[in-house]
Amino acid sequence: MPPEHLTDEEIVRRALKEKDAFAPLIERYEAKLARYLERLGLSVREDREDVLQNAFIKAYRNLNSFDPELSFSSWMYRIAHNEAMSFFRARRARPQVELSEEGEALIVELKDESADASASAEARISREELARGLSRLPERYRDVLALRFFEDKSYAEMSDILQVPVGTVSTLVHRAKHALRAALPDTFHP
Amino acid sequence: MNTEPNAALADRILSRIKGEGIVPRPRWEFFVKNVAFWALGAFAVALGAFAFSAGLFEVENAGWQFYAATHGDLLTFILEAMPFLWLLALALFILLGYANIRRTKRGYRYPLSLIAFGAVLTSVALGTGLYAAGLGAELEEAVGDHPPFYRPVLVEQHVWWEAPGKGLLGGTVVSLATDTATFVLKDFSGRTWTVSSGGLPPQAITLLARGGTVRVVGVPVVASTSDFDACFIFPWQTFGVAKSGPLPPPIAVISSSSETGMTSVRIQQCKSIGSYRQLRSIEDAGSF
Repeated sequence: MPPEHLTDEEIVRRALKEKDAFAPLIERYEAKLARYLERLGLSVREDREDVLQNAFIKAYRNLNSFDPELSFSSWMYRIAHNEAMSFFRARRARPQVELSEEGEALIVELKDESADASASAEARISREELARGLSRLPERYRDVLALRFFEDKSYAEMSDILQVPVGTVSTLVHRAKHALRAALPDTFHP
Repeated sequence: MNTEPNAALADRILSRIKGEGIVPRPRWEFFVKNVAFWALGAFAVALGAFAFSAGLFEVENAGWQFYAATHGDLLTFILEAMPFLWLLALALFILLGYANIRRTKRGYRYPLSLIAFGAVLTSVALGTGLYAAGLGAELEEAVGDHPPFYRPVLVEQHVWWEAPGKGLLGGTVVSLATDTATFVLKDFSGRTWTVSSGGLPPQAITLLARGGTVRVVGVPVVASTSDFDACFIFPWQTFGVAKSGPLPPPIAVISSSSETGMTSVRIQQCKSIGSYRQLRSIEDAGSF
């Protein structure tokens, strides 16, 4: 059966027997994870590729620890996330978020929760301002916002990626939105 | 950013995997690691149970009923009687248990409150069982002998009840006069006291006649004398020990020419004891 018809779990089983069978997984997740890493603040393409490569190597080395009760996607995101955090710590680099066309979902979410939605709806916020706001947030808050609003992950998936209980994810998302609102220009505030 | 799949990346990764001879780590390594974290977590909770059993032994044997006689006020007593060392050990072991369980394969899914509650509940349930089996006493005494800042609860009790200046005496009944007006008591340091027991209620005399270790609350001794006037006699019970100790040695019966009743002076002296009312109610209730 061609790899494109196989589930992630089936490819994992194949890859455990044959190295080359790992390639379809890389191709399947490469773009998504690269985008995720960029949203985490890895703005330099070479750095992103290094982190991505290390994440896939680590995933291959630890394939036997993959728990089929989790989705492979969550497991892979977790590894990529941990690699990115190690990168920032090792380089003592400050994450620099750059956003392309995305961000609208997050802006809508922030506006919906404002006390005076009609007033804030008038306020416009540029992608650059949102990126600057995200860059200013603590790492933990940026992580949850990226997963929730850019990667469209559920709380259960975020729990598996960040390895914290679902309740903690919910609290973090709430606090992160509050922190981001505070980090945005005054014109955005209700 | 270009988000199109980069065909070269898969090739680069595979060639690195092949070139460096990278192979998946065997499944058993992860299994062993997971089991080890569970085992360490369970071990920590079990140690917490031992700490709880020792703390329970300490609390049970602190002599709460007699706090008014030994310490005067409840707060001072609590500060001295609380098993802080064991509570600290229990908290540390529960934290250690949490840290290990959190690192198991799906441990991150459980909230801290759930794991902490489960660990506390397990430690308390298991610790109560260990206490009932007498292991709390063994541990409390064994460990309690070592840290310089800690005294086992029974030793602490001996210190509190070897205070004739405060009207407190503890020790073994050696002999009782035929008219029950006096008895001889050997305290925990081996010193022998002649104690006036005339006029004490029948249950106190029964305790003395049975022999063994007793607590005596009496008129504080002001001079260096070996005479002591008893106002109350209570049994010396030790809770949470697996085996009951040996039967008390038979007491000698000696003749006496003392006053068999309680003189009015002594009655007044007894009533002037700060804890008189509390001790009277314990005696009346027979709740010892």
